[in-house]
Amino acid sequence: MIPDEQRFLLVGAGLFVLGAIGFMTRRNLILMVLSAELMLHGVSLTLVTFGRMHQTNEGQAFTIFTLTVAACEAGLALSLVLSLYRKSHSLDIQLWSELRETDMAGPKLEIRTLSDEPTSSYEDIPKLTPAGIVPKDQPRTTATSAATSTRT
Amino acid sequence: MMGWIQQHPMTIVGLVLWMIGILWLMPGKNATKPRPHMIGVLITAVGLVTFCLSCGKANSELADDVMFWTFGIGALMSGVLMITARNPVYAALWFALATLSTCGLFLLQHAPFLAAATIIVYAGAVIVTFLFVIMLAQQSGAAGYDQKSSQSLLATISAFVLLGALSVTLLSEKIDIERPVIPVAVSNEAKDRSDQTNRTDLVEKAALAGNLLSKADAEHPVGNMKGLGKSLFGDYLFAVELAGTLLLVASIGAIAIAPRREQGTL
Repeated sequence: MIPDEQRFLLVGAGLFVLGAIGFMTRRNLILMVLSAELMLHGVSLTLVTFGRMHQTNEGQAFTIFTLTVAACEAGLALSLVLSLYRKSHSLDIQLWSELRETDMAGPKLEIRTLSDEPTSSYEDIPKLTPAGIVPKDQPRTTATSAATSTRT
Repeated sequence: MMGWIQQHPMTIVGLVLWMIGILWLMPGKNATKPRPHMIGVLITAVGLVTFCLSCGKANSELADDVMFWTFGIGALMSGVLMITARNPVYAALWFALATLSTCGLFLLQHAPFLAAATIIVYAGAVIVTFLFVIMLAQQSGAAGYDQKSSQSLLATISAFVLLGALSVTLLSEKIDIERPVIPVAVSNEAKDRSDQTNRTDLVEKAALAGNLLSKADAEHPVGNMKGLGKSLFGDYLFAVELAGTLLLVASIGAIAIAPRREQGTL
């Protein structure tokens, strides 16, 4: 038998911890930002619950401000992610590990092997079968390379 | 501490099962041979249900209980599936489900305006923007860095130690705050009566402690739109102005940071 509010506080703590795990473990930049938003959800739930426990509207007012900050954070984070993506052509956070302090040990960067290459999870994409003749008015190099690629 | 563990064995079991489920679901070192997905989902669900049931039945209506279990377990489970999803698009969709469940919890906590605002802001704007960026940046499908996580064991264990400490604090001690008693619509004549003075004194003291306009009263209970508006535009007027300025600065910053067209395409 526990008070009604304590359960909400537990769920808020759980959401916060899940967001923290996601932020620490995932390597995708966008997923890290999403995990931070999940942590904000936990905080919002806790604020609303505290506000109800004290019978004030302050908790809900704080949550509205949290919402505002979250919206700002999402917009800024996405434009930052886009500009980072333009430089490294990948969303991998480990490519930016050189920004760390000089005395910190960096992550073990994996040597890219063939099995590490991005593999498409969409298997049913229709593939165009090579058909027709290779157009002649193109530059010769691209035409031959296209021909070889279609042959392979 | 030991006494607490003996008193709440189900909480510990639930937390441990939940953690094992997350570790199972987490994209591991071996990207080519992923572990079977359903087993991890089952372990996590069993751990979550055990954890939630160990909190015991609250002293509330059955319908409240059922809605709380639905939304609470829904929020936590979609959170787990979000942070372990290998496809970022699925992660964004699980995050949308977690947001919806959190809004259900907001509704249970008498915050209908917040629930609506959160759905509009998150599901309407944030998720769509995230999906847009994911589709812009990951046109080649699943990438290698999504199949592997960094330091998942250490991160999960330390985070669950934090969650365990929070549950110890929340479950073992009765939260003993001074719950202000809301006077039942005291009329003017009743206020003049001398036997009410003690009580109104107490209420006035409690009201003086915090922001006056944010207090809920009998006409405006917690979450009432009028009360919330009074709180926002009375006690927190400067903060509202600041938040508006913050939004303006953030939008200018986002436009300034985002790559230009003449800088090349993505």
